[in-house]
Amino acid sequence: MKHFKRLFLALACFTLILCAGCKTETTYYFYTNVPSDGFEVADKNFVLGGIIEGYTPPEVEYPEEDVSNYTTMGYRFTAMLTDINLNVSYDFSKEGEKSRFSEFCRKIVDEMKRFDNAISTAVTYSDINKFNTAAAGDTIEITRTGYEILEIAKNLYSETEGYYNPALYYNIHAYGFGAAQSYPEKLSDLPKDEDVAKYTDLANHFADLTVYTEEGKYYVTKPEYTVNVGGETLSMKIDLGGIGKGYAVDRAEEIFDEYGYNYGYFNFGFSSMMFKSFVNGGAYTVAFKNPRTLANDYYFTTPVRNTKLSTSGDNNQYYIIDGTRYCHIIDPTTGKPVQTGIMSVSVVGGSAAEDDAYTTAIMAMGKEKAQEFIKDKLSDRKVVFACE
Amino acid sequence: MSLKKIEQVKKDKGFKIFDLIIYGVIALTVAVLFIVIFATRNSDPLTGIKVYVNSELVFEYEFDVTASADDGIKSAIVQAEEESGIIKVTVTDGDEKNVFEIDKKQKTVKMVEANCKGKQCLYFPVMNDNSDFIYCSPHRVRIEPFITRDDGLIIM
Repeated sequence: MKHFKRLFLALACFTLILCAGCKTETTYYFYTNVPSDGFEVADKNFVLGGIIEGYTPPEVEYPEEDVSNYTTMGYRFTAMLTDINLNVSYDFSKEGEKSRFSEFCRKIVDEMKRFDNAISTAVTYSDINKFNTAAAGDTIEITRTGYEILEIAKNLYSETEGYYNPALYYNIHAYGFGAAQSYPEKLSDLPKDEDVAKYTDLANHFADLTVYTEEGKYYVTKPEYTVNVGGETLSMKIDLGGIGKGYAVDRAEEIFDEYGYNYGYFNFGFSSMMFKSFVNGGAYTVAFKNPRTLANDYYFTTPVRNTKLSTSGDNNQYYIIDGTRYCHIIDPTTGKPVQTGIMSVSVVGGSAAEDDAYTTAIMAMGKEKAQEFIKDKLSDRKVVFACE
Repeated sequence: MSLKKIEQVKKDKGFKIFDLIIYGVIALTVAVLFIVIFATRNSDPLTGIKVYVNSELVFEYEFDVTASADDGIKSAIVQAEEESGIIKVTVTDGDEKNVFEIDKKQKTVKMVEANCKGKQCLYFPVMNDNSDFIYCSPHRVRIEPFITRDDGLIIM
């Protein structure tokens, strides 16, 4: 009995030591333009790859309010197949304030549904579906919302030198992403390289898409260019889901301002967020988790206040075949899911619609080009990206 | 058991010091978990409820604030009727049905009827403080306390 007990304890200790020794620690890197006194790192697996120069924080004044009677109310709903959350801190004990908050929530919901109707590929008569089902060269009347988002998309396509490209629609769907997700299970299920090249060629004509306004109406003309894949002639299709959510977040901020709500936040899934002030301390703290683990050690923690944030990553929609990760973000230079080693990108500041496009573009740029781009174009925003 | 073996067992001490350390660590862990779970629990009385179906708010009710149950209805899939201080709320989403009762005097909420598989939501404890909730997984119906927390930390 005595020996058995000792043997058991010895075996348990040996197993523990063995497990500790075998546990492989992977090192990841992150790059940011935030000065080292502007963030904290708690995940020991992450190492600072480099500080990108050029960040100039915007000068903002925050009006102080007496928040002693403030309480927080929240609301949650779904639009564009995404969960939306909002929190507002205000003096709701005043007469009529709770019903004013309900009215505010209704207004936000109505706005989000309006965006859904304009740009969702899941809504039959949305601007985007009308565009996608039109023939090459056709002109379609669209809503003002659709027009504004397409204008932003065109500008960002140009500014990011095509790294943000909303016309990679066929590529996204060929790899099993999009509304009707169906992930391939083996290499032979992946699309053929020659088809991918044709889809990419078509997408690279996005600059030929034109939008214009005439007599108070809004129009988009589809490029004439087509490609032939498997005997089928394909005209351009687009997906503005990414910047559409950002655009909706920008609009939500206007509604917060309209109601005088200066404390709280609004998030469209976790890809786009808007922050006002935090009622207990001024700034919110945003903490980024390692995209490769479920651990709650944050590799980058930074304060945010009266600003917007967008994040893109390869860890939300993805599958792995033979050890290779395929995610929903397409590299416009290859037409295939990004494999640049960048796992996640976040941009804080500016407009959420633009930030959404920037994060997608940076995912595809790769480490070196991303650093140059951030230094040259995003000096007014906080940016962080994590690499394998 | 032979006499020799019995004598050998008697000679052995019941516990070695190392055993006591292990038992001590286990007891400490249990005690810490107990304290963390119960000390951090929000035991304020229930102030009201919010009901979500597929993450969409369909009904809300705040005790002593919401004038009538009908005022709390946010979706056509909800019906509410009040009798003797008990509000019976029925959520019917297609073939999926859940019925719960709000006791205005006791300030409690309980699920009383559901046609979901397993009917596990019927076994959730009665909600009576701000740490309780009821969840019907097959029908994606979630009843949460009315309070909203904002601790200033956003995890991405």
